[in-house]
Amino acid sequence: MKLNISKLTQYKFKEPKNKYLFIIMLLSIIIMTILLPTSFLRGSNIQSMASQFPEFGFLALAMMLAMITGGIDLSVVAAANFTGVVAAVILNSANTAGMPAGTAIFLSIIAVLGIAVLCGLFNGMMIAFVGVPPILATLGTQGLFLGLATVITKGYSIGGFPDAFMTIGNGVVLGIPIPFILFVIGAVLVALLLNRTKQGFNMYMLGTNPTVSRYSGVDNSKVIIKTYIVTALLAGVASIIMISRANSMRPGYGSAYLLQAILVVVLGGADPDGGFGNIPGLLMAIITLQVTQSGLNIMAFSPFFRKFMWGFALLLVMAINFIAQQYGDYKRVKRMKEQVAATAS
Amino acid sequence: MKIKQLFRHSETYVLFIVILFSAFVTAINPAFLTLENLFDLLRSSSGTAILAIGIFLVLISGGVDVSCTTIAIVGQYISVNVLIATGFDNIWFAFAISMLLGVTLGAINAVFVSLFKLPTLIVTLGTSSLYHGAMLEFVGTKAVNVGGLPQSIKDFGAFNVLNVSRPDGSTFGLSVFFVILVVIILVTWFILKFTMIGRGIFAIGGNLEAAKRAGFNTRRIQFFVYMYAGLLAGIMGVMHLSLIRYSNPNYLVGTELSVIAAVVLGGARISGGSGTITGTMIGVILITILEKNLIMIGLSSYWQQFFVGLVLLIGVSITYLQAKFQDSGRRIIVKEEE
Repeated sequence: MKLNISKLTQYKFKEPKNKYLFIIMLLSIIIMTILLPTSFLRGSNIQSMASQFPEFGFLALAMMLAMITGGIDLSVVAAANFTGVVAAVILNSANTAGMPAGTAIFLSIIAVLGIAVLCGLFNGMMIAFVGVPPILATLGTQGLFLGLATVITKGYSIGGFPDAFMTIGNGVVLGIPIPFILFVIGAVLVALLLNRTKQGFNMYMLGTNPTVSRYSGVDNSKVIIKTYIVTALLAGVASIIMISRANSMRPGYGSAYLLQAILVVVLGGADPDGGFGNIPGLLMAIITLQVTQSGLNIMAFSPFFRKFMWGFALLLVMAINFIAQQYGDYKRVKRMKEQVAATAS
Repeated sequence: MKIKQLFRHSETYVLFIVILFSAFVTAINPAFLTLENLFDLLRSSSGTAILAIGIFLVLISGGVDVSCTTIAIVGQYISVNVLIATGFDNIWFAFAISMLLGVTLGAINAVFVSLFKLPTLIVTLGTSSLYHGAMLEFVGTKAVNVGGLPQSIKDFGAFNVLNVSRPDGSTFGLSVFFVILVVIILVTWFILKFTMIGRGIFAIGGNLEAAKRAGFNTRRIQFFVYMYAGLLAGIMGVMHLSLIRYSNPNYLVGTELSVIAAVVLGGARISGGSGTITGTMIGVILITILEKNLIMIGLSSYWQQFFVGLVLLIGVSITYLQAKFQDSGRRIIVKEEE
């Protein structure tokens, strides 16, 4: 098969920023392959990368949905902790009581999704009906959910799940890790939600301008509540992957994911002020982050250096975005001035 | 009329919750309402209160700062290591280094917020990761325990400005920390009330564009706010060290949300432009007694986070429901006038 390069270069990205993201992603992969020629592009490394990022990828999907509506969800990790702890308790007690593994897993997943819906409903109602800004509402529920998780476990970690449950996080189908398959399904569903449904369209509208959205006959409260329910559901799925990968759950697990999720979402082209954000951009940002992280890991950089790198990358990307925007404005104004001068003379 | 006005402020409600909760705790455990416990609470919460004042200023200016606790720990850890490395055992030297670091890191925050006009929450999330990661990578990760701590820092933590003796002859006292807090409160109050830059902080929080048109140098004000918050974080870092006599580079990080909760509970609006220092202090008192005194009523410390979250949600709900009803009330009056 011949690769038609001219066609490739003519391909237009729907979102203009995604062109740069694509270049950044390719660059990071190429750099890591050059620096680590023997270990980076090996099947085992790719497999481990594909099983590592989904638990955090789901949280990033959730964060992006909140940001599209102009909000933010600081409670995603806490909701994942809370639902994860409940699932862990159910699985653990079912295991010791000798319940069949299938029933226990079914029960725990139902419990996770049910509690996630309640968490999301609570967040959404605080924001939509009480009128608390999303950052404050989710700051409060973060404490609430994490507090409940801590109260349930008394601060200890809970382990001892049925073996069948572990396949969700560690299983492989045709060489593809199951968490990765779950993530692809999740990402496709979220993309469909955003691009093919009324709710998705309303979310972008709400994030761009809530007043206009309301006067166009959109029930903003309903849109917000639905958004935060989906957000919490995604956090719930993340928690299932988390506990089955680690075979245990403790409150506070994955607290570093909050910053990473925000970083990846902003990197992926979402605007904290709302109205922007798309799945292809987010996916490229997640791949970039995972590739860089895995490469730094193989090169034996400390986790502290990675923390430093993330902060640096976040600030750098946002600063470059700002400068590019300013430059674009400057060029536009200059062009307009030239046009005015041309018509005047 | 006066009382009616008082009830428009959410601080009043928070103060009520504080009084009710204190009464409740005292009824169960009389040890709560003693001078000794009060002095102890003041000593352990002065640091949080100072951080809260910094975050309060940032909130009034229309931003959020989640990097304050990181700045505090960076200031603390680097200054104690410099003290140990140089052998220059002086508390003022420690404060000077920590404050200088705080101002510098605050200025970096301000560069991103003011020059690049980026959202403050994202900026400070990014910089806190940057500062903390850089310190752990390039300075060190080893905790300094009480044996290796410079003597001057230990002395400072034990220094009391007022001593009261117990019946058995031993003494307890009011820590010097409280004096530092009072000085900072007065200075901040003066800046906010009587200086152009202080009025400017409220102005840019209310409406940045309007403040600019009114002639405020918004860039200078933003730099001042973030550098001042950094300075206070630097002071808090050294105080925290001499309070717990142990420097772990992973402490404090992650507690910023409960400090923000305290400030918001005290009535500062997260969208900027309004809030009082009195309210902030009441908020800090509430969070402190919630965090430190749950054990006194027989609840284990696991409940701490839950209650902080719950109280925050109730507090902000009251504020925003009130705003909502006032708004709809105003609309009805307008309709009647028509």
